[in-house]
Amino acid sequence: MNIYIKSCAQISVQEPLCDKWFTEPIKHEAPYVRALDPDYKPFINPVAARRMGLILKRAMATSITALKEAGIEMPDAIVTATGLGCIENTEKFLKALSEQGENCLQPTFFINSTHNTIGSYIAVQMKCHGYNNTHVHRGISFESALLDAFVKIKLEKLNNALVGAHDEMTPDYFTLLNRVGFWNGGFAGETAVSMVLAKEGDIRIAGVEILYMPEKQKLIDAVNGLCAENNIGVNDIDLLVTGRNNDDDNNKAYNEFEDLFNLRDKSESYKNIFGESFTASAYGIYYAYECLKKGINPKGKNVKNVLIYNHYENKDHSLILLTC
Amino acid sequence: MNKTVFVTGVGIISGLGYGRGATMDALREHRTAIGKIRYLGTSHDLPVSEVPYSNEDMMDMLNIHHDTIMTRTALIGKLALKEAMEDASLNPAEQHTVFISGTTVGGMDKSEQFYLDFLSNDNHKEYIKTHDCGTCSEMIAEQYQGFEMITTLSTACSSAANAIQIGMELIQSGRCDAAVVGGSECITKFHLNGFNTLMILDKEQCRPFDQTRAGINLGEGAGYLVIESEDSVKRRDVKPLCVLSSCANRCDAFHQTASSPNGEGAFLAMTDALREAGLQASDIDYVNAHGTGTQGNDLSEGNALMRVFGDNMPPVASIKSYIGHTTSAAGGVEGVISVLALLENYMPINLNYRNKIEEHSFEPLHQEIIPQKLEHIMSNSFGFGGNDTVCIFSKIKEDKI
Amino acid sequence: MENLIKELKEEIIKTLNLEEVRPEDIDENAPLFGEGLGLDSIDALELIVLMEKNYGIKLQDPNQGKEIFKSIVTMAEYVQKNRTK
Repeated sequence: MNIYIKSCAQISVQEPLCDKWFTEPIKHEAPYVRALDPDYKPFINPVAARRMGLILKRAMATSITALKEAGIEMPDAIVTATGLGCIENTEKFLKALSEQGENCLQPTFFINSTHNTIGSYIAVQMKCHGYNNTHVHRGISFESALLDAFVKIKLEKLNNALVGAHDEMTPDYFTLLNRVGFWNGGFAGETAVSMVLAKEGDIRIAGVEILYMPEKQKLIDAVNGLCAENNIGVNDIDLLVTGRNNDDDNNKAYNEFEDLFNLRDKSESYKNIFGESFTASAYGIYYAYECLKKGINPKGKNVKNVLIYNHYENKDHSLILLTC
Repeated sequence: MNKTVFVTGVGIISGLGYGRGATMDALREHRTAIGKIRYLGTSHDLPVSEVPYSNEDMMDMLNIHHDTIMTRTALIGKLALKEAMEDASLNPAEQHTVFISGTTVGGMDKSEQFYLDFLSNDNHKEYIKTHDCGTCSEMIAEQYQGFEMITTLSTACSSAANAIQIGMELIQSGRCDAAVVGGSECITKFHLNGFNTLMILDKEQCRPFDQTRAGINLGEGAGYLVIESEDSVKRRDVKPLCVLSSCANRCDAFHQTASSPNGEGAFLAMTDALREAGLQASDIDYVNAHGTGTQGNDLSEGNALMRVFGDNMPPVASIKSYIGHTTSAAGGVEGVISVLALLENYMPINLNYRNKIEEHSFEPLHQEIIPQKLEHIMSNSFGFGGNDTVCIFSKIKEDKI
Repeated sequence: MENLIKELKEEIIKTLNLEEVRPEDIDENAPLFGEGLGLDSIDALELIVLMEKNYGIKLQDPNQGKEIFKSIVTMAEYVQKNRTK
């Protein structure tokens, strides 16, 4: 059975809910850039909005946009990825706990602090009783969510799924992560990407692989396996999308990978456009999706088979093959 | 029909102690672990069920140097994982094996301790990196080589059950041979105070399914199960403990914290789990209920149970009256207890029960009975946001292996 | 009393993040929950915190709130009678 990405919507440091970045990307020099928010009024009623942080508003707006584009009113499932969850509310509760002690703490900050607040909020707003899960594994949270939906559709437990990646970045958390070198390779961004997976469409997910600390041979086998399953050779891959940034440590694995498969000339990155976050890899898949939809990459080269390779701290690795 | 998935090993730690033996002994003796707070540095005087070891105790049990950067959730998880791996004699490197864990707390125990330092200086910055849930899973798994994939689920109190569900699905799809699944969670000031702001913590011992119930006692613990495909069980020549018949998740989609009065999400998850297991409601011999002891959950869950089972209600009990609510770990801890209940042909009873809930047609199991037959156990785990997950464990039929 | 009513309106708008609402929009006799402002159980918990923080009134049982938070007027009356700060 074939599974497709039917639609995709993003809010990021680029123009929201459109693909203007493809031809006119906004260049960011600052180390920390917050996402550009659209007007949320068309997506959320003001009574519901009063307790919603930006991460929830963005999740609603991208979800509604993606579903609308896919022509699906009620998804069979809502699968969410987030590295840190609703960190703004977590921080507010943590800060109050640290500064004022264990009295007079506000319930709203706690309620909105759990990671699955995002997926459940979307479900409550849409009255969606379908499968609902939240994947929270570092830099491969999104791939993990995508794999979940992909496998469930393959097993015929679902016909379609709304898969999203959502992370926000607060000034305090930027400072914290800066202490441990999280932003060494590029600027800090925020993530809000939603996509609809379905059994029909134009852009096919030809395979999803997640590997923990793979040896070189395992990576080679995984790439060859993905290609063989789809009757293509590695040389048929006309675009490699990687999580490359400006950090040599991070890029080492990408350099090796490109050399291993002779893909250096075909390699492109997305983090220079969308920034860094735990779920930034969702923009890699989104980048590939837009290229396939248009049939060309931003430089105008024809694109048919795209491999997306991402790793986090050289421990968690992921491979996704998209074709059209 | 989907492939059979077997449980070949379990590991557990909770307020009742470490290991299968300590857990079942306490359940059989009707001994609760809920009592005064010993380890958590809080100003609240609320009953909880803490794992009866300090972090240093657990480091000694695991041969870890006391200076190691380590969180309490990771330590608790490591102990449960160790027992499960030994129980199943599993070496992850010998077949395609994945580790899927559920947690929400992650490294919050250290973050809440050092948060003001994090903001102003570098003194404890190594714990900034252990805050997120994924790092917690990798710390838990780090003593084993060869897991091909590690991932983490966080859906509040159904996290571990959802991890079981993902592992099962990866085996059924043929993407791996074996999966180690479950979850770990320590008590933190963060969520103790969080639940306190919701005014759902009982100041007495919790009374699940009692008319006078007044809320939750928090607990901490970890539970992991080794699950495998039939081929893997045969190839490794191990004796499985039972079958994981199904695992289903649905969303109540009613309110962020409150459950719907008719328990729609729970009802859908239970009926999905029955269908996927190829079972009728009448096949279920015991229900390990979510039964937190809050007004909302128990009313809603009971109503959903009545919709599923009608007049033929099987024995229903909540073991939260022994181990408290182990939040994200609950699906793992209680999944392990469900497996042990099947193995030992013993149905744990619900403690502290006196008065039937007015709206309900049934009483929870509160006196020991010898089961006529105990072949299928349903285990419920429900989380914030109406995240409802149900697993069904079954005895192995004679003709299977 | 009038000052207290005004103060409560402002505090409720701030605490519950009712961005679109102005103090003069709230009818002090109208129900706060269900109809009227349309608040829910989470808002009720927030109001309990507000009572303790601002007026030193500790409510033990969330059900007590049902009577006290009927309207701004009932809330103000309760505060006046029971405040410790």
